[in-house]
Amino acid sequence: MEKRLIKKDALSGIINKLSEQMLVYAPVKDEDNVLFKVLEKGMEPLADYSNTRNAPKNFFFPKTETMMRYMRTERGIELSGEGEGAPEMVLFGVRPCDARSFILLDKVFDQEKYKDPYYIDKREKTTIISLACVHPPYSTCFCTSVGGHPMSSEGADVVLTDLGDKYLAEFVTPKGEKLLEKMGDLSKADDAAEATKEELSKKSEEAITSHVAGREIKPWLDENFEHPFWDTIHQSCLACGTCTYLCPTCHCFDISDEVKGSDGKRIRTWDSCMYWLFTKETSGHNPRTSQKQRWRQRLMHKFKYFVDNFDAIACVGCGRCVMYCPVNIDIRKIVNDISKL
Amino acid sequence: MENVEKQLREEAKRLLADKKVDVIVGYEEGTLPLQTVPCFITNPDDAGKLVWNSFCSQNLAKYVHDIIHQHRESQVRVKPEDKTRKVVGVVARGCTTRSLVIHLQERQYDRDEVVIIGVPCTGFVAKRKVSTLVDGKEILEAAVNGDKISVRTTSGDKDVPLKDVIADNCLNCHFNNPVISDIMVGNEAPPRDVDREYDSVNKFENLPLEERWSYFTKEMEKCIRCYACRNTCPSCYCKICFVEQSQPAWVGTGDDPTDVQVFQIMRMFHMAGRCVDCGSCVEVCPMGVDLRNFLKKLDKDGFELFAHKAGESIDKPAPLSTFEMGDKEKFIFEPESSS
Repeated sequence: MEKRLIKKDALSGIINKLSEQMLVYAPVKDEDNVLFKVLEKGMEPLADYSNTRNAPKNFFFPKTETMMRYMRTERGIELSGEGEGAPEMVLFGVRPCDARSFILLDKVFDQEKYKDPYYIDKREKTTIISLACVHPPYSTCFCTSVGGHPMSSEGADVVLTDLGDKYLAEFVTPKGEKLLEKMGDLSKADDAAEATKEELSKKSEEAITSHVAGREIKPWLDENFEHPFWDTIHQSCLACGTCTYLCPTCHCFDISDEVKGSDGKRIRTWDSCMYWLFTKETSGHNPRTSQKQRWRQRLMHKFKYFVDNFDAIACVGCGRCVMYCPVNIDIRKIVNDISKL
Repeated sequence: MENVEKQLREEAKRLLADKKVDVIVGYEEGTLPLQTVPCFITNPDDAGKLVWNSFCSQNLAKYVHDIIHQHRESQVRVKPEDKTRKVVGVVARGCTTRSLVIHLQERQYDRDEVVIIGVPCTGFVAKRKVSTLVDGKEILEAAVNGDKISVRTTSGDKDVPLKDVIADNCLNCHFNNPVISDIMVGNEAPPRDVDREYDSVNKFENLPLEERWSYFTKEMEKCIRCYACRNTCPSCYCKICFVEQSQPAWVGTGDDPTDVQVFQIMRMFHMAGRCVDCGSCVEVCPMGVDLRNFLKKLDKDGFELFAHKAGESIDKPAPLSTFEMGDKEKFIFEPESSS
């Protein structure tokens, strides 16, 4: 693994230089949200920010994706694909929890049984530069409870760690090392930098104040599909999609055809287990008719089904659903309440 | 306000103990600062959980509608002689009572299915306003002290005047006291700055068309179609919203800007004469879309054309479901000349 040092005031220049050569997405302040946007000339990428409002999953798994187009002609139906595929790009400033979410999404979209060409194409052509959390950005962060770490390199190609006056840049993967070639001359990192990182890492882990019993509740979930506890979560739920849409790991989708005249397209759009239409079948039957059942689904999917299937919790502890739920349904509280049952 | 809270708990406890209501819908403490959570109390001993403070942002009328309708659905297959009713008690400030009036006028449930505990309101705190005043730093604690709100953030403590963080819709509210109630708690709240109610709409109306359109498109670009606005709105109670209908599909399901705009335009127009400006849709929006500006314009039109304020009085019929001989018809027969 290559390790370099980048002076603090040089970072913005380096990223901007990259953006001249390829598509770079970076966190940018947009009114009172911080969002990932295409870095254009003159734009300043944010390096000192907490986290983006939305998770970066949309870069590989867009909210709406055209899978194919079709046209009704006199000769029959003509099918066509969608363009030449994804461009090479860099995703700069991803937080470790969000970077880790890509590893979890890979388990769904890029696995032995099923390979999703739409997802894989974009994922392969993207290099991820993550920004380690030297200080956990929010008091609602709980990455360490679900298998992550504020300074983890999981899912990242390059990890930047803020050492005060400079960044330690670790080029973790071959993809990351390839990017190094485009970044110009950078001085090699010394042992001191690594020692500082070690120290910061420990401190950051200790600074995380939210802890949930993420792994501990699995045996209870295995046994208690029908438990009165499930009657206690959903009542105030608005059944909106905020939690699932902002979530870095939620990946349920719907496929539908949109036809205008003789042209049609097949699109894949995000779905949400919070929506009443989520499991509605063509016959009209809906196996999950109540919000209670849908909430159980959300919890079970994250802390049981995903664990059964892929041996990992489908939550990275970013805390977005906690912070932005309009009615403050707090997954930390739910998990901890379950652990006390 | 503490006094209101105390009375509120006593009344709620009494209503439940006397079996006058099956459930009380109110607010309880949340797990985050600046936040209370809608709660549903069925046991009189739990009435002590109820709170009433400046962080009670949501219009609870939505839950009254949902609870009664869910119960009615559960009764569909019950023998007539065994059918039960569910009576819902609700903690209601001015705008919530206006929503209840709309429900009653639109025959969503009967007057005796709801017991209204009216509370005086001095406005709720808009979370985004506080966040902006502390430069987006995470808020770790917040407490109202008199006319100030003391906020502890990751970069220190700050006192902010309460009036600077009260939600826009509350600042110029005409109805901060309930318009209908069965029980009133607390003293009447002092009037707000009502003369400036339409200032922001007037300003917006006077902008050139292009600017208004570009503001609209910019706001709609933020929308992620999570439907939090629709789902929190007490006036949005259609069994199947037009966006979820598929035969025919009125609007695409993707993130095409046109589809997003059509969803919001249609929803807003469905609010004509039915929006009580409770601010819930704005407060719940995770992306900070300014819906109020547009909804307030519809409210202003309703007021100027029909002297109507949504849900103002149970005896005053809603303009769009009433016909009067003197109603203007020019817009139907001579649309060109009336525009």
